[in-house]
Amino acid sequence: MVKKRVPDWLNSSMWSSKPAPSDDHYNLRYSAITTATATTTSPTSSTSPAEDHSVDPPVPVPPQPIIKDPPEPQRIQESRVDNGANDQNGNSGLPSADDISRQAQLMAELSRKMIDIRELRKIACQGIPDGSGIRSTVWKLLLGYLPLDRGLWSSELAKKRSQYKHFKEDLLMNPSEITRRMYSSTSCDTDESRCESKGLLSRSEIPQGEHPLSLGKTSVWNQFFQDSEIIEQIDRDVKRTHPDMHFFSGDSQLAKSNREALKSILIIFAKLNPGLRYVQGMNEILAPLFYVFKNDPDEINVAFAEADTFFCFVELLSGLRDNFCQQLDNSVVGIRSTITRLSQLLREHDEELWRHLEVTTKVNPQFYAFRWITLLLTQEFNFADSIHIWDTLLSDPEGPQETLLRVCCAMLILIRRRLLAGDFTSNLKLLQNYPSTNISHLLYVANKLRVQSI
Amino acid sequence: MVLVLALGDLHIPHRAADLPTKFKSMLVPGKIQHIICTGNLCSKEVHDYLKTLCPDLHIARGEYDEETRYPETKTLTIGQFKLGLCHGHQVIPWGDLDSLAMLQRQLDVDILVTGHTHQFTAYKHEGGVVINPGSATGAYSSITYDVNPSFVLMDIDGLRVVVYVYELIDGEVKVDKIDFKKTSTSHSAH
Repeated sequence: MVKKRVPDWLNSSMWSSKPAPSDDHYNLRYSAITTATATTTSPTSSTSPAEDHSVDPPVPVPPQPIIKDPPEPQRIQESRVDNGANDQNGNSGLPSADDISRQAQLMAELSRKMIDIRELRKIACQGIPDGSGIRSTVWKLLLGYLPLDRGLWSSELAKKRSQYKHFKEDLLMNPSEITRRMYSSTSCDTDESRCESKGLLSRSEIPQGEHPLSLGKTSVWNQFFQDSEIIEQIDRDVKRTHPDMHFFSGDSQLAKSNREALKSILIIFAKLNPGLRYVQGMNEILAPLFYVFKNDPDEINVAFAEADTFFCFVELLSGLRDNFCQQLDNSVVGIRSTITRLSQLLREHDEELWRHLEVTTKVNPQFYAFRWITLLLTQEFNFADSIHIWDTLLSDPEGPQETLLRVCCAMLILIRRRLLAGDFTSNLKLLQNYPSTNISHLLYVANKLRVQSI
Repeated sequence: MVLVLALGDLHIPHRAADLPTKFKSMLVPGKIQHIICTGNLCSKEVHDYLKTLCPDLHIARGEYDEETRYPETKTLTIGQFKLGLCHGHQVIPWGDLDSLAMLQRQLDVDILVTGHTHQFTAYKHEGGVVINPGSATGAYSSITYDVNPSFVLMDIDGLRVVVYVYELIDGEVKVDKIDFKKTSTSHSAH
């Protein structure tokens, strides 16, 4: 039996410092792009691919996303040289050469009439550049909300959005309104008879025994009161979502309307899924989706962001349902078994660390991995980083769970030195407050794990 | 959509032992936002029980109430409506529409809730609406022994009120409703 050692590539000194793109690597990509810019002078990247009917791929904007006019090739050259060593995240305002090329590839892919989803997944897996404004569309494609045939986009979108509107009307009405509608269809113009100025008010029958204190199972009122518990829970959780972000929290009009939208989506989901209802944590999965869709450069998409988010949320959650269902906790598909799989994955790749964590220091993976897995790492990194991780998670054709496990394993391996040196308390503290890292090389390591484990 | 429970004239423990079981099973905490009680509870235990149903409790003093510190009349605003509360034994003749209308104008309220007669009534006049929820326990009144237990639940939604009348007739709970709307120019502002 060969004792598994830490693979050599992990021990390389590369991981301790931020790698800067080498000059050659840089110029190669740069020259590919300048030829593209030289030939077409196209609109800025803020054009949504959905509206672009031309066959030429729109050229990505130069480093500053805010520049509106197409630049000349010389200007690109100057600003590119300034770029120097920007960080791998692409978080800086100036995207790296990698980002530009990926953006070009994505744009190319998106402007095709029939989108090749496998190709899109491959490119998106490496990350979607921030300033490009195409993340919203790419995510919608990855989650299967937008059909692959671009010609069908407008009809599909219209259909889904009106469906959502009906959901809202049907499910978010309070019982007073519902009963009023029931009555108005039966009685005719009772308001007219109110003209009498004095005298006894006439009593009328209530249809179907609907009154507020009704205890009947089918009673609208009874259902309302039973739902109100869940609605309160949703309300509390939504208020606590990302309290550090102006987009979600605070008293501004924008934040309030965003919170209302999140609430509506979760309430409708809970009502449409009586088996699963609402579980704490769903709000955390919903938040990045809504944020990305609301920041779509296309105005119409922004207006309908709520409807789009709802369907994408349903799609995303359909793969993760088992994690949220309490009865399945101990079953083969439940969260416990997923955590066990993570544990085994770690054992495969880094036996020493696995042994130290689980056997020596007895850090049960449930203590940290539960949150990592059920919330898709939204709570472990800052918002921008978790969106980058989601780019990779969502582009996995088998669903986010597989990639997620590899990323979690990579997270453990990257801090192995500190973990190996620590005891139960310090390890647990470290894992529950995962230190901020360079996301790109986290994802790189995760990808390497896939290659190795076959 | 605010639910307001109006009841009174329970006379527990003197004339009745408790609310009817069927009423009690319907009155669960968490559904009702306000309780208006016309008075004559009479004991502290009833007050505590009502408090468990809803923390926002308003009571006017009836002539047999053991707690002497309840007010004779009370006014409160719920949503777009002003409600007035009074037991009703002070208004003579008991249950007379015109006299109650005078009280209503005095209190300047849209809906006046009074009791004492132990009979459910709902009157409308130019000044507004007078509602008598009757006796929730069916206790005998100064006037008659023939009393059906009844109470009222108001659903205040914007400018409309739906009044649900719950009565226990021959052992069965019967529910009716009354709709009315407040016209926006109903009262002149002072």
